Amino acid sequence: MASISLKTFVGLRQSSSDTYNSGHVFPVKHLPAQPASRGLRIVAGKFSPKVTGRNLRVAVVGGGPAGGSAAETLAKGGIETFLIERKLDNCKPCGGAIPLCMVGEFDLPLDIIDRRVTKMKMISPSNVAVDIGQTLKPHEYIGMVRREVLDSYLRERASASGATVINGLFLKMDAPKGATAPYVLHYTGYDSKTGGVGERRTLEVDAVIGADGANSRVAKFIGAGDYDYAIAFQERIKIPDDKMVYYENLAEMYVGDDVSPDFYGWVFPKCDHVAVGTGTVTHKSDIKKFQLATRLRAKEKILGGKIIRVEAHPIPEHPRPRRLAGRVALVGDAAGYVTKCSGEGIYFAAKSGRMCAEAIVEGSENGKRMVDEGDLRKYLEKWDKTYWPTYKVLDVLQKVFYRSNPAREAFVEMCADEYVQKMTFDSYLYKKVVPGNPLEDLKLAVNTIGSLVRANALRREMDKMSV
Amino acid sequence: MASSIAITASLQRACSPHHVTKKQQPQARPARSMGTKQETHVVALETEGPKGLNIAEQEAKFGFNAGSSTTTSRDAKDDDEAGSGLDTEPSAPKFSDERWKNGTWDLNMFVRDGKMDWDGVIVAEARRRKFLEMYPESATNQEPVLFRSSIIPWWAWMMRSHLQEAELINGRAAMVGFFMAYLVDALTGLDVVGQTGNLICKAGLLVTVMGVIFFRRAQDFDSLRKLADEATLYDKQWQSSWQDQDAGDGDSGRGGKKI
Repeated sequence: MASISLKTFVGLRQSSSDTYNSGHVFPVKHLPAQPASRGLRIVAGKFSPKVTGRNLRVAVVGGGPAGGSAAETLAKGGIETFLIERKLDNCKPCGGAIPLCMVGEFDLPLDIIDRRVTKMKMISPSNVAVDIGQTLKPHEYIGMVRREVLDSYLRERASASGATVINGLFLKMDAPKGATAPYVLHYTGYDSKTGGVGERRTLEVDAVIGADGANSRVAKFIGAGDYDYAIAFQERIKIPDDKMVYYENLAEMYVGDDVSPDFYGWVFPKCDHVAVGTGTVTHKSDIKKFQLATRLRAKEKILGGKIIRVEAHPIPEHPRPRRLAGRVALVGDAAGYVTKCSGEGIYFAAKSGRMCAEAIVEGSENGKRMVDEGDLRKYLEKWDKTYWPTYKVLDVLQKVFYRSNPAREAFVEMCADEYVQKMTFDSYLYKKVVPGNPLEDLKLAVNTIGSLVRANALRREMDKMSV
Repeated sequence: MASSIAITASLQRACSPHHVTKKQQPQARPARSMGTKQETHVVALETEGPKGLNIAEQEAKFGFNAGSSTTTSRDAKDDDEAGSGLDTEPSAPKFSDERWKNGTWDLNMFVRDGKMDWDGVIVAEARRRKFLEMYPESATNQEPVLFRSSIIPWWAWMMRSHLQEAELINGRAAMVGFFMAYLVDALTGLDVVGQTGNLICKAGLLVTVMGVIFFRRAQDFDSLRKLADEATLYDKQWQSSWQDQDAGDGDSGRGGKKI
């Protein structure tokens, strides 16, 4: 194991000179001069050995939004990138909603977006319906995309930047034999020669980004641990054109114990049909009943529709215990970056892929040096610092407002408030938790408590009576 | 004081239904599936009298009780629909009430003796919600629900339910206070005037008041502890990546607790 020598900023220790004295003195947190065991300290990769004769090789396992954006950033940073995706035309079950900021940040062409949702309807257990979206400015919207279109666009862009897109199924990974030894990936490669059966191949890389989704194999390999997950069940329904007009740019959210005990049911418009679905963490076996209830609640609006597809997928509820080990990092759903309350994952997947790739590019100085765990940890640090408030706020919202029918009634009542709508959309569309006007916040707090009190008082009345 | 107690009272309610939801679910489900014979579900709604402290939340079986009614004015149509629900028709009964018009309660119909009867509105709305919980209806655009519970003034809620609980708590606090004042006087010789000057006594007083407010039933200990756990679980899940920094293979499978 190579020892790493550094000149500390304070000059406390004069470490023995070694081969990697590049002459730089970086302000480093004071570090021991012993051979640094992996992971004990955040060690700047700037002192890692140069990679000679070639660029750093990184494999991105999984070609969804996380993998695509990671591969693009890596390739643009001068790193030899391999993007392994098992199904290049995968039509993933997904809500498909992306916030406005994603279009700008990832330079998405506007024709990728099938629909712009500018109105939402929240419907309480007792069918109190509240329209939200009046506070949206004309240029603001929630974009609805088809996953196969978005994913393949991002992959193609990565490929155009210089990444090698491999159609293959990741099987397993051999751990490196040393601090600078490569990881050996085993995968089944598919191409025109091998046909459907595929051929067992290997690939040697220096670092791996696991972007292979909720059932990540990379996560299993590094012992990342498990997370709680929700099951999202969705039916795509083609409804008559006159009914489709209602959903032109409107999405609906149904809350209630009948629809889901801890999540919500939805009707989202897609390119030419609607997706009606629901999800749950705690009562997964009852998901079909919840779906029936959701369809019942939207009955009149989807009457005459034909179910064209039924799909289900897991949604992580919180990050895995370990998102990083050695030179392998997890991003996107594989890491568990789905928010609570709204279950949003596409933007965070793409952003985390990009952030991780940026950390690798920076740590390796554009592919000239070997990276190590410390560089990848910088990505975790940056991610947690930037998005922790968002996740926490949504977690609190879910805990307060999704726990029972009275709470949901209060939730829908609160959504009628303009200030709430403005704050909600601002934080959703731009992914920044903006501290609002303190006076309005106080009023909001009082109103929230009032709503909760009223709804629970009604619940007590309900319990006293029989219908 | 009463309002703060009222608020904590509802926060208690906000906490407890969640923990009993799981228990209620299996009982509620059969009532909702279309086409099953509804007369097999027996109503056994227990109440604790006029007080709002309702442990019946946990034991209530949602049910269907044709013929008996606790509300004063009830549309005869409801009984008919309830009756027709006994035939195993696929369509569930729809909520209807003569005072429910165009998606909201017609407040003019709740006037009694020239005064607004808010109690009646509260009871009617509770009945509507209860009905919809048992027989969910589709949310239509033609008849949207426009009623907002905020229309009912705050004092109507207070008069109806919170005052009773406030009375109970104040009574408890008074009894505990009297007894403790006596006991402390007997043990230390400080009379009431002396006790109010003593820091320890004042701290003890604060703890007692908090205790009386927060721990009203035996299960409150558990509820509050679970609440504390819940509030910090998400943070722990996010921090676990950092705790593993020093550990070797760390803990896999940490996310075991379901919310």
